[in-house]
Amino acid sequence: MTGLAFAAPLALLGLLALPVIYWLLRVTPPAPRKLHFPPVRLLRQLAPQERTPARTPWPLLLLRLAIAALISLALAGPTWNPSAVTPSAGPMLLAIDDGWAGAPDWDKRVAVAERFLMEANRDGTPAALMLVSQGAIAPQLTEAPKAADELRAARPKPWLAERGAAATQIKAFVADHREARLVWISDGLEQGEAKAFAKELNEATRGGASLEIFSSRRPTLALKGVVNDARGLEVSVLKAGAALNGQVEALDEKGRVIMTTPFAFEGSSDKTSAKFDLPVELRNDASLLRIVGENSAGAVGLLDARARVRRVAIVSGSGESQPLLSADHYLAKALAPFAQVLNPPPAESDPILAALADRPNVLVLADVNIAPGEAFEAAANFVEQGGLLLRFAGPRLANANDELTPVRLRRNGRVLGGAMSWETPKRLAEFEPASPFFGLPAPSEVTITRQMLAEPDPGLSAQTWAQLADGTPLVTFERRGKGLIVLFHVSADTTWSNLPISGVFVEMLKRLCALSGEDATGVGGDGSGNQAMLPPLRTLDGFGALGAPAPTAKAIGADFHGGASSEHPPGFYGSPGSAVALQTVADDDILQALDFATLGLTPHPFDLVGGARDLRPILLGLVFLGLVIDWLVLMRLSGRLRLAAALAVAFVAVAASQPPQARAEPQKAATAQRERDAALKTRLAYVIAGDARIDETSRLGLEALSRTLDQRTSFSPGEPMGVDVARDELAFFPMLYWPINAAAPQPDAKTVARVAAYMRQGGTVVFDTRDALTAHANAAPTPETLWLREMAKGLDLPALEVAPRDHVITKTFYLLDGFVGRYANGDTWVEALPPEPPGGAARPVRATDNVSAVVIASNDLAAAWAQDISGQPLYPLTPGGGRQREMALRGGVNLVMYTLTGNYKSDQVHVRDLLQRLGQ
Amino acid sequence: MAGSDIETHWFDPLTRRGQASPDAEAANMATKLPRLIAKAHEIAGSVAHGVHGRRRAGVGEDFWQYRPFATGESAHKVDWRRSARGDQLFVREREWQGAQNYFVWMDGSPSMAFKSSLGGDYKIDRAAVIGLAVAEVLVQGGERVGALGLTPAFSARNIVERLAEALAGQSPTDRALDIPPEAALPSRARLLLISDFLCDIAALSARLQEFTNAGGRGAMLMVLDPAEESFPFMGETLFLDTDGGASFHAGDAASLRSAFARRLDQHEGALREAAKRAGFLFLRHHTDRPAAEAALAMLMGLGEGMEAR
Repeated sequence: MTGLAFAAPLALLGLLALPVIYWLLRVTPPAPRKLHFPPVRLLRQLAPQERTPARTPWPLLLLRLAIAALISLALAGPTWNPSAVTPSAGPMLLAIDDGWAGAPDWDKRVAVAERFLMEANRDGTPAALMLVSQGAIAPQLTEAPKAADELRAARPKPWLAERGAAATQIKAFVADHREARLVWISDGLEQGEAKAFAKELNEATRGGASLEIFSSRRPTLALKGVVNDARGLEVSVLKAGAALNGQVEALDEKGRVIMTTPFAFEGSSDKTSAKFDLPVELRNDASLLRIVGENSAGAVGLLDARARVRRVAIVSGSGESQPLLSADHYLAKALAPFAQVLNPPPAESDPILAALADRPNVLVLADVNIAPGEAFEAAANFVEQGGLLLRFAGPRLANANDELTPVRLRRNGRVLGGAMSWETPKRLAEFEPASPFFGLPAPSEVTITRQMLAEPDPGLSAQTWAQLADGTPLVTFERRGKGLIVLFHVSADTTWSNLPISGVFVEMLKRLCALSGEDATGVGGDGSGNQAMLPPLRTLDGFGALGAPAPTAKAIGADFHGGASSEHPPGFYGSPGSAVALQTVADDDILQALDFATLGLTPHPFDLVGGARDLRPILLGLVFLGLVIDWLVLMRLSGRLRLAAALAVAFVAVAASQPPQARAEPQKAATAQRERDAALKTRLAYVIAGDARIDETSRLGLEALSRTLDQRTSFSPGEPMGVDVARDELAFFPMLYWPINAAAPQPDAKTVARVAAYMRQGGTVVFDTRDALTAHANAAPTPETLWLREMAKGLDLPALEVAPRDHVITKTFYLLDGFVGRYANGDTWVEALPPEPPGGAARPVRATDNVSAVVIASNDLAAAWAQDISGQPLYPLTPGGGRQREMALRGGVNLVMYTLTGNYKSDQVHVRDLLQRLGQ
Repeated sequence: MAGSDIETHWFDPLTRRGQASPDAEAANMATKLPRLIAKAHEIAGSVAHGVHGRRRAGVGEDFWQYRPFATGESAHKVDWRRSARGDQLFVREREWQGAQNYFVWMDGSPSMAFKSSLGGDYKIDRAAVIGLAVAEVLVQGGERVGALGLTPAFSARNIVERLAEALAGQSPTDRALDIPPEAALPSRARLLLISDFLCDIAALSARLQEFTNAGGRGAMLMVLDPAEESFPFMGETLFLDTDGGASFHAGDAASLRSAFARRLDQHEGALREAAKRAGFLFLRHHTDRPAAEAALAMLMGLGEGMEAR
């Protein structure tokens, strides 16, 4: 679709005039310079009059012809990359796919749409904005600026919208407005009935409407099928488009990256997988997977409590005589696909104690009777603390059962269908809805020949998760403390039933394992028979950031298996301890790029926005340039160039050489003066961030802090100073306050080296990213954070941690819990303290030997400090209040005191007072 | 290269109308004259220090010396007051102060109303300043000065103002002459001719000869703008004649530079020759040099070269 077209091709006829212009120019030389000169008489007596340049010199001729040709071309209104269709003059309908697939380049989409709306505004045509996700709403024609406001308020949704409703609306719209100009900013995915939608658009063009389609060239990537099992943490990566490789990162609940792993697509495959090789404990910390650099909900995979790999310890009562027939073997095989089975403990010690020493999530006791004593206490404690005790019946348990069973058991159990029984082996009954097994098939081939019977106490049915066809319990449970005891009334080997060798056994164990570690109020049925509804806890937005759920989000049932939608946005549902993840991309979803070509459509990429680029400004610019050159040449020819050249040279000289040369001397003097000032009085300093507003805030904030320090402490700082880290000497300042301005260019390597040297020499830099309000733990980092990260690469930073409550920085003047500023929710990071010595006496305060060279805050400290001349605060605080402002100032006092006094307050001398004041 | 960003200014002294505003101001005699007069006074003041009395006995009014009475002299020459103090007779001699008639001519033709950005003044102004200053110094020295063809020679304290008035009242036709006008000269008149002498040499030579024949002698000061000497022009240029002659079209002015310099030398040589033949002193002055320099040179030349004859 690249090419050249002309709005007024007839103007090109002007090119025919070029020969005439050529001839005219040839015979019309440039006018000579005229001047009075008294000794002309003498000149006249000289040689004959010289008349050499009677003709225009050829370079000038060429230049003038070029100018004439350019004018002619410009008049013809050339356009680069014209649209295939001439846009209709009718009202504009702007359809935007606002699913998550459009999120990574949402800004570009908005920019494209805005340009169209501006065009409509220029032409005075009304426009309607239709977000495909809101296809049910009929598009309203409004003035373009209003539509633009609407557009700017729109955000991508964390699901892929079905386009059916939108197609219907478009049909109706085109029926009303024959000359409609349709613009579809597509996400390029076939999902969501894109073909039908495109067909509908095509239909509309036949009716007289014009259609322009824009689609990103960027491939769409998505994560699905997060599997965290015994083999590892694995996730499938889907692509639509021409992606090759990338990286997936795993983040924990606080948004810290645990690990980044690469993935690559092979050949034309649209699916690949990324695997994290991590120890189970670390893997279980992961709560979110994300494709690096792909800020969309689809590129996020969520890990809920169910996705944790459970550590399972098996203690079996049966001997080692026939290992392949033992309960151990069946259990290990059944658990292996999704849980980590711990090695059997060595035989000499008590097996239960040994198993618990490995800190399992699930303790499986296959036909083991727990003798009262240490082992019993340990097991009971394990359950109280939230462990899942899974027991299987067996001959030993049948003979002497203990207290750790969900129900009271009868001795000996019963035999079904044996030689001594009239009855046939029993089958499984269908699982009740209240049971965690609900939804599993109850296969008919599973037969139970022996079982242990429960005493028919009242409430037995409420404690039953699975029962036989005759209503006798097969699996019973009881909650104790935070934990759960589950008893299979059959043995874990095949002597009592063939359940352990059926597929449903694996599924049952899987679901049981998932229950471990959840708190007692969670899933699993509380016997009331009501399906528990899980309210949305934290949901993803279209960009893939976790946040508070939208008010429209509805609770899901525990067995919810649909995909994400407007009612159920992806995210975590349930209560914080036992949240259930609803993935953006369901396991059976696929991604497929929409093949526009087969639909007879040609999408434009975003960078050729507007479909066309008007070349007129460029041509006219060239014409102007040509005229200037022509003028200069004429000046030269008539001998007057000197003045012009001198002027130009003077101008350039003034513009270019003025700063370094003319200012050099006074600047040197000013620098010397400034350094003298800085050296003679200890003062606070801030780094000039390059933004007038930020710098002013820093200055006023530090002024207010200086006043506070003067009033409350024995330190009287001088006027704060703005520092240009690239030029000024930093050595005079104990502390540099550095507000991050993401719009500023990165400092060069030399500057970073200066800062690093300053930090090595004992200076403290307080970076303030000022983004606590916009930063989310799991979301993409804010521009300020990225900026700081980029710069910090050259800084050789030590390990950092969120300032712990016993860090000396919280004790240097005031006793503080944290450092609040304009916001109160951001963390403050300092150099990590060495771990507390084990067995050492608990001390209320800890410190390193040095002052932390770097403090990273995100609460916009200076804005909270800043006051105007009359002492009135300049900025409102979030959440607000005089107390917060006071605490911000106190935090500032502590920071300054920390940089000045170091670990003084951690000295043992102060411990008594500190303990007293802390009320311990 | 002297630079081709030379600006030239010219106004028509006959109509006193300039083409551009700075020229208009220069052309306005009423505003210009007091300045010229002041300048002439100033230069005369500085030059007068360099000029002294004749230092010999003569018919002046100032005392020179007493000398012994020589026999045969007429008795009324005896200074009785001095002689009465002794036995010897003394004659009181006065310094020789032969007052001469000087005539100044400043060229006021259109070619003089020219100035380039290289020179300091319009040539016409410079000529006036030099002429008036020299007149003042001469009058202070006891001579009589007049404007050639306009006034008789006279001696007055306000000689500068009176000459300036006379010049201002000159008729345009007289002013347009680029050679000295025909004038009846008293015997042994001294002539000070200040002009650019871009004129017809034959006519000038004839006129000088006339003056010589009438007993006149004197000095010629050629006032030139530096641009007229160095010809710093470049590029295609149309040179307009200030005297109303045909203009000259140069394809590339820079290429004419050497030829023009030769031609100017030749012209000057011819002038010198004419001056020598008529017994005139020939001096040159550029407007970028101080006017006092030219005035002094002229006075010294008058004092020495002309007395030698």
